[in-house]
Amino acid sequence: MEQDNKKVHHLNIAKNDIGKYVFLPGDPKRCETIASYLDDAHFVMLNREHCTYTGNLEGQSVSVVSTGMGCPSAAIAIEELIELGAHTFIRIGTSGGMQPEINPGDLAIVTGAIRNEWTTRAYLPIEFPAVADIEVVNALKEAAENLQFPHWLGISQSKDSFFGQHEPHKMPVENELINQWRSYVRGGAICSEMESSAVFVISSIRNVRSAAIMLVCANQERYGFHRNEHDTTTAIKTAVEAFRILIKNDNKI
Amino acid sequence: MAMISDLQYHTKLKFGDLGRYVLLPGDPGRVEGIAKYFNDNEFVADSREHKSYRGTLLDERIGVLSTGMGCPSTAIAMEELINIGVETFIRVGTSGTLQPNTKSGDIAIITSAIRDEGTTRGYLPIEYPAIADINIVNCIIKSAKKLNLNYRKGISHTKDSFYAELYPDTMPMSDEIKKSMEYWKKGGAICSEMESSSIFILSSIYRKRSGAIAYMYGNDSNLEKPNLEPLIQLAIESLKEIITFDREKNN
Repeated sequence: MEQDNKKVHHLNIAKNDIGKYVFLPGDPKRCETIASYLDDAHFVMLNREHCTYTGNLEGQSVSVVSTGMGCPSAAIAIEELIELGAHTFIRIGTSGGMQPEINPGDLAIVTGAIRNEWTTRAYLPIEFPAVADIEVVNALKEAAENLQFPHWLGISQSKDSFFGQHEPHKMPVENELINQWRSYVRGGAICSEMESSAVFVISSIRNVRSAAIMLVCANQERYGFHRNEHDTTTAIKTAVEAFRILIKNDNKI
Repeated sequence: MAMISDLQYHTKLKFGDLGRYVLLPGDPGRVEGIAKYFNDNEFVADSREHKSYRGTLLDERIGVLSTGMGCPSTAIAMEELINIGVETFIRVGTSGTLQPNTKSGDIAIITSAIRDEGTTRGYLPIEYPAIADINIVNCIIKSAKKLNLNYRKGISHTKDSFYAELYPDTMPMSDEIKKSMEYWKKGGAICSEMESSSIFILSSIYRKRSGAIAYMYGNDSNLEKPNLEPLIQLAIESLKEIITFDREKNN
């Protein structure tokens, strides 16, 4: 079909370039590493911050597409992927811990996101919840349990401003940033990152499934920014195992 | 700090009265009908719109308390129940549907809620999501499958004004109300009711667990008297499932 070769504007890929199951890292440089866990993976495209690889898992075509940082480019990526027929997404990213019991190196499985960003306000009123799909969350949970990686389930803060979190004292709105952070911590949020809310809100609207798994790199509530862990291997392995579980479950239906 | 023997201000309950697991209907008139499924059930208190009974399931003390309609009285009930040691909540209510092909009696298993209400703005910024506990939701889904019920899982619209939704044309703000309802439908919300968001937000803050189920009125129905027995049976089965889950995990 002619339409299957039609390329979307920013990802610069077409329908037959990708699978219906897609991993969404933020960093284009992490795509190749994730793709190395797929069977027969090959590079497809690099355009702007969007890098695409496609391979197979359990006999199903699976892709890896980077979103870039922040909800604006994450929204563009997921809209174009849905346009191309993708229906199940796992965001794989890095985050900061928000509860004192969480350690750098732990995994955070994100069940819902604080819409502390402006992109999704163009989609739905702010009182609408950004919530992950429960089947994808359950698959990530099962995967983390099977692999025995320390993990937490809960809400993430999806923010627009990285340095507003890390260096609030530099910002004219310092007090608001600090109060906001404290209220989110008291609400029980487990981690802070920059893309999940866009992935979840758009998935709700377009009736596709998504969830997110984050490596907790640091925890300012516990160690400040002194102790860091940047190896995303456990997050990637858990996400890959979760897609295997989902694909097997989907094949049963 | 309240003394352990003190009665809570609105619900007139004291510590331990309802155990750790509580069902939350909106209507005080439904409390007795729920309690009849408990073993050794007994009346506890009746104050304002908050009527309570208790009993046991699998030898665990459980309770039921009506919230009244809307998040203001629901938040009061939640605060006081948390004060008296309740840790797990399931709202058992009725709702309208927001999606086509819904028959009256289909059950909504609510995973999260639109915060279209004022109460929780006194707790957390509006961008914070109102989300049910995943273990509770999983236990409810398992129970619904076991009982072979027709259910949908998804987002609920939690609102302050019942008649704004039912008769938007009678409201000065009719245009905004109708527009919002379209937004919620397009966002994928499955049902509309008046209490879930406050139950989820307070549970998040106090690190408690909650879920919600609702009898949905179908697309074409009027407000005929619903048969709530399957919904209540689902609530009871879910509590058993949760109690068993907790025992296995030593919670």
